[in-house]
Amino acid sequence: MLAISNLVTEFASVKALNGVSFQAKPGLITTVIGANGAGKSTLLRTISGLERASSGSIKWFDQELTHKSVESIVRSGIAQVPEGHAVISQLSVGENIELGGLFRKRIARGDLAIATKEVYELFPILYERRNEAAGSLSGGERQMLAISRALVSRPKLLLLDEPSLGLAPLISAQIISIVNDLCRATGLTVLLVEQNANTALAVADHGILLALGKVVADLPAKEMIADSSLRAAYLGY
Amino acid sequence: MSKRREHKIIGLRSTLLSIALFLFFILLSQQFDPYNQSQLANIATLLIAVLSITLLTGASGQISLGQGAIMAVGGYGSALLVTRLGFSMWISFILAIFISALFGLFLGLAAARLSGPYLAGTTLVMALAIPSIAVRFESFFSGDVGLSVDYGMPPVWLTNLVGEISIEEWSLYVVLPFTAAALFAVLNLSNTRTGRTWRAVRDNEVSAALSGINIQRTKVIVFVCASGLAGLAGALYGFRGLVAPSVYPTDLSLTLLTAAVIGGLRSIGGAIFGTFAIVFLPDLIEKITKNLAIPETIGNYLPALTIGTLLLLTVILNPRGAAGALEHIRHRKKH
Amino acid sequence: MTSFLTAFFSGTAQGAIYALVSLGLVLVWRGAGIVNFAQMGQAMFTTYIASQLIQHSYSYWSAFVIALISGAALGALVDLGLMRPLTSRKNSQLLNSQSMRTTIPVIASLGILGVLKALAGIFWAGEERGFPSPVAPNAIKIGSTNLAITGFDLFVIGVVFLTLVLTTIFFTKTGMGLAMRASALNPEVTRLSGIKVGSVRTLGWAISGTASSLAGLLVTPRTNLSPNTLDLLLIVGFTAAVVGGLTSLAGSVLGGFILGYVISFVNVYSAPENVFIAILIFLLLALFIRPQGILGSKEVRRV
Ligand SMILES: Nc1ncnc2c1ncn2[C@@H]1O[C@H](COP(=O)(O)OP(=O)(O)O)[C@@H](O)[C@H]1O
Ligand SMILES: [Mg+2]
Repeated sequence: MLAISNLVTEFASVKALNGVSFQAKPGLITTVIGANGAGKSTLLRTISGLERASSGSIKWFDQELTHKSVESIVRSGIAQVPEGHAVISQLSVGENIELGGLFRKRIARGDLAIATKEVYELFPILYERRNEAAGSLSGGERQMLAISRALVSRPKLLLLDEPSLGLAPLISAQIISIVNDLCRATGLTVLLVEQNANTALAVADHGILLALGKVVADLPAKEMIADSSLRAAYLGY
Repeated sequence: MSKRREHKIIGLRSTLLSIALFLFFILLSQQFDPYNQSQLANIATLLIAVLSITLLTGASGQISLGQGAIMAVGGYGSALLVTRLGFSMWISFILAIFISALFGLFLGLAAARLSGPYLAGTTLVMALAIPSIAVRFESFFSGDVGLSVDYGMPPVWLTNLVGEISIEEWSLYVVLPFTAAALFAVLNLSNTRTGRTWRAVRDNEVSAALSGINIQRTKVIVFVCASGLAGLAGALYGFRGLVAPSVYPTDLSLTLLTAAVIGGLRSIGGAIFGTFAIVFLPDLIEKITKNLAIPETIGNYLPALTIGTLLLLTVILNPRGAAGALEHIRHRKKH
Repeated sequence: MTSFLTAFFSGTAQGAIYALVSLGLVLVWRGAGIVNFAQMGQAMFTTYIASQLIQHSYSYWSAFVIALISGAALGALVDLGLMRPLTSRKNSQLLNSQSMRTTIPVIASLGILGVLKALAGIFWAGEERGFPSPVAPNAIKIGSTNLAITGFDLFVIGVVFLTLVLTTIFFTKTGMGLAMRASALNPEVTRLSGIKVGSVRTLGWAISGTASSLAGLLVTPRTNLSPNTLDLLLIVGFTAAVVGGLTSLAGSVLGGFILGYVISFVNVYSAPENVFIAILIFLLLALFIRPQGILGSKEVRRV
């Protein structure tokens, strides 16, 4: 279980997160939605250790994550797919995937091979293009690659930052549905950040609405879909 | 406060400060023996070059490891004007500013496309290459031998006015007006809108560009101004006796940078402090090594060691230099 | 014809050494965004260590290996002791300024250079001394005709070729090599892959220290050894790196060989005193015509 309480993250003068508290249940998809600048990316980056929290706590089961380094957070099973299809475009597709599992090479070589095979089965197009530069992929393929890079580390918690950003609706639906299947099949815990509330809430179990660094609604996904006044107030549609 | 009044006050302040510097050097020289008087003249000369770095790096963020080479341009320019064309020394000094500023324009056009380490490396290459041009075109620049030039004798009206003065004092009198003028120019530049534009470019090029500043042009202008100053310093430096490649070695460029850094890259007071430090520190160390009977093979390297260590300590402990430290202490006292 | 061959072969041998220096510079630049002006100071220091060992009757090869190891250690030390604390310092007013973030490490590396030179002068008296080579610098003979290449040239070319092959294998075939390339290209994604980017960077400094230390060992049999002898090598290596593209390892090697030929041909067909000017002109031309270098990519140039 991921338990966040009173989390505050500041940049110079802005409090990007201003006392955020919520929980994400294991094996389920929790989605964080909010307008641009609400603090969604900052939330994920603080969980991963890329930003330092000024106060509050982030607990993954009984581990406290604030003050841990990015590497040790990743190594304890928390993988992030950062905003904007973050792959390393000058490396090949295969190298990007290899990178994600590199730290497990010595500790679990056998399983790493299996995990690599699994992501190629999940996204066969990546296997076909494994020797090409990641920069030559289409937007959707890049997002698949970014997710694959995270998956080969065999995470228990997957943090996804706006995977559908800039993708055609059909492709983003396909990617989200693959994530959904994965979660249901393997018991992976997912924290899905989206601006596009409909796509996210359709697959999520639980919804968190973030505005100006604060949680303004914390509801089961079904109820959040139904509440049109919330959407009108915070998302503007 | 109206703009005009603001300018007037700034102008008054920099005039007073420049005069104060002038008087300070004169008074100090009265306490010194001839050797230290000539060291003081060195300080007044090198201060102009260090100010050019304060301008370039402190105010606009560009780094040059080749200010010594630009000094050489000014030095050769003025020496050639005097020895080949028979110009008067004073006019050759003024023209040296323009010659090296023109040189700085060409360099600046290249430099504006560069920043950080690219610029540092390129100017370092220049620092090595320019003195070798003098050797390459020996018939024109007199090669390794160099051109002999000097400050001449003090004019009669001056000796009538203040009595007999030594050659060392005379060199100080020649240099000081230029130092005061350079200080005046730099003070004015950094306090006006131009200075603020430069600092904006230094701190964040993207946001400076967004607020309508022409980055490339600003950088070139700074480079031209700094080169003019360095060239003037080079001309004055050469007229101590000789303009030759050995007078403007690569180490000179690095020493000037050191002075600017240990004093505080962003502070004019720091530049003055740093220049005093690099000129007097080697003398001080020599005295100490003599007293402690440290062998000469070691003693020869102690100034370089001290200056290198000071540079490192400054960067590590207090990148804002002596001026920054002073400000810090003053700040603490207030609280 | 003979002078052409002479220029060609000595250009290849010199170029091989420049390639090492340039490779060392680019490794650190890609990994840490710093041009290490102290690099050849470090090499000078480790070459002195080798020279001392040889004077105390150690074999050439054991001194060779110890010098390379000290080169690695010195490189790592510079990063751990100075550059890493310097660049990771937050809330410093000076370092908040964009241009100063690149300027301060340059100044720091100059400080190291000054200190290393002074220390070498103090420890080893600073007089110029020779440095041995394991191969005699005589021209190779076939029958009674002298070839335009010396045994020492062949030795240098062989050692550098081997080094470049090993480096290529390291970067393209090993996990650590992949981690190094990834950290240089995108530190954030690399950290999010669980890789300790800081340690990878330190390794880059160590490899760079080893490469330049090797360059020092290979160049000093010809130039002799004093605290200042390797300064020129830094300048040439820097130019080579810019010509090849500061962001590209292959480009840096290519740039090294190009500079080797330029300098060697200027030496043979023109005059040695033109070399500096040739370097300056070459550098300025490169910056105007193709500022990202021959193999460098525009997007990644960190300026
Ligand atoms: N590195 C940063 N420096 C300064 N401010 C930042 C930084 N990153 C984010 N912010 C600010 O924090 C707030 C939240 O940003 P972010 O978390 O990216 O929002 P979202 O992902 O929901 O669009 C915004 O006001 C943004 O300007
Ligand atoms: Mg975001």
